[in-house]
Amino acid sequence: MSESEYAIEVENLNIYYGNNHVIKSINLKIPQKTVFAIMGPSGCGKSTMLRSFNRLLDLNKNVRVNGSVHLFGRDIYTGDMDSVEVRREVGMVFQYPNPFPHLSIYNNIALGLKMNKLVKSDKELDERIEWALKKAGLWEEVKHRLNDYPSGLSGGQRQRLVIARVIAMKPKVIMMDEPTANIDPVGSKKIEDLIFELKKDYTIVLVTHNPAQAARVSDYVAFIYLGELVEAGETGKIFTAPESKLTEKYLTGKLV
Amino acid sequence: MSTLKKFGRFDRFDFLTYPAVLFVFLLFTWMLAVYVTSSIPAFQREGWNVYFTNVWNASECPDKEYYGILAAIWGSLYTSTIALLVALPLSISYSIFVVDYAPKRLKGILEITSDIMAGLPTIIYGIWGAFFLVPFLKEWVMMPVYNYLSFIPIFSQKPVSGFSFFSAGVLLGIMITPFVSAVVREAYTTIPHTYREAAYSLGLTRYEATKILIGYVKPAMISGTILGFGRAIGETVAVSLVVGNAFNLSADPFSPGYTISSLIATQYGNSFIYTHMTSVLYAAGLFLFLVGLFITLLGMYVLRRWKKNVSI
Repeated sequence: MSESEYAIEVENLNIYYGNNHVIKSINLKIPQKTVFAIMGPSGCGKSTMLRSFNRLLDLNKNVRVNGSVHLFGRDIYTGDMDSVEVRREVGMVFQYPNPFPHLSIYNNIALGLKMNKLVKSDKELDERIEWALKKAGLWEEVKHRLNDYPSGLSGGQRQRLVIARVIAMKPKVIMMDEPTANIDPVGSKKIEDLIFELKKDYTIVLVTHNPAQAARVSDYVAFIYLGELVEAGETGKIFTAPESKLTEKYLTGKLV
Repeated sequence: MSTLKKFGRFDRFDFLTYPAVLFVFLLFTWMLAVYVTSSIPAFQREGWNVYFTNVWNASECPDKEYYGILAAIWGSLYTSTIALLVALPLSISYSIFVVDYAPKRLKGILEITSDIMAGLPTIIYGIWGAFFLVPFLKEWVMMPVYNYLSFIPIFSQKPVSGFSFFSAGVLLGIMITPFVSAVVREAYTTIPHTYREAAYSLGLTRYEATKILIGYVKPAMISGTILGFGRAIGETVAVSLVVGNAFNLSADPFSPGYTISSLIATQYGNSFIYTHMTSVLYAAGLFLFLVGLFITLLGMYVLRRWKKNVSI
């Protein structure tokens, strides 16, 4: 199949946790090099759906995924790609900043590069790590203590370390699952600025329960409610003239 | 209602728990005090030689009595070290399998099995060790090693009975495996899911991810190991049945020896006959007491420091 203009295409996606139908027949197209926000109240299934884009749901044996997800035209669930390859191309940033506490700042970034043999020499490794830290806006803050453990970093810094860890792998897509949910406002602002910067080179899929954040950083937005896609489109349009009453209620804070 | 809860500043649970707490604490210090004071005569007579010589002259003439437990100290350290070499790989592989690889139903069965094994009376291990494990090890491990590796000095003696440091070490290793694996398993299960996700999200294979997660729980494994060592060094009954009970400072693992606890257990009866032996046995006990205390504290310290470092 030829390279698609879309980074991710989701067709008739259904996800079940045991007998629980959590994602219901969702169709979605995520254009390349944009910020695509998926918003909705807590527990609506947005994090679950996100984890189907890098096959992280495979870790849970109770989960069943039906339908198809294409990454740049390649189906990630059939023989086209194996899960390791998918995850190499779709980096992920989590709700809780989770650099490995037992690895140094340096080794946290080096881990994925080494294990996937993405660099050829120690010199290249050093350069790539510096590059990624600079991209993530963390280099100046940590360049003198690359061998320290991340426990000395603030929440916001840790999250940027995770972002650097992802960028270093040069993925095609970066997924962020409520990346600022556990970060103070100053740290959150930095991460939002970073997202803006990163979309020049990457496709970013951002899950958020905060409509204001979606409005600030995204180009496109999808609203998910109780496992169903209510509405998706350009951010400006959704926020000014939503088609669905449900979206309007959510955006005005009237949806409980 | 309110009267049930509190009488002013008086809390019923304070009243009930304080004496118990006090009693347990006093018991501990009291025991330590008894050990120290009862050991003093031995130290006065022999000084540090009690710990640093290998002699056991039990004589009906008290002037000729002379004791040094170095062989038993050596035996305790030697057997416990062998025990760890056996227990550690077993525990780690067992835990990883149970947590990560075993199907759900098997998981429960395996967990219960190791818990039952941890609770078995040690004499059960002892009898099994003496009648089955020792002959088995002699025929399938010691003899082949002697036949093919006797050019290595520590294996140059032909194993005689099979009762030896090695047998005791292996038996101890089997006995502490459930304990060590419980600590490892607990640590391994409590790895926050987010780190598991992080490992896989970086394109790591299951093997690579497991390796990273093991690194995360390594300090817990170390502390489990230390606690396991503490148990091994204190274990008595089972060891007495398989270690051979001989004063032997040899590095030959297939030769019989003593451990501190087996020495106390087997010589205890004689202490009624000989004048100075009781105090020496107390001194031996004191050594074990302090080693055990030190090891337990060390294990707890490592575990606590780890929990603090990785806490969210």
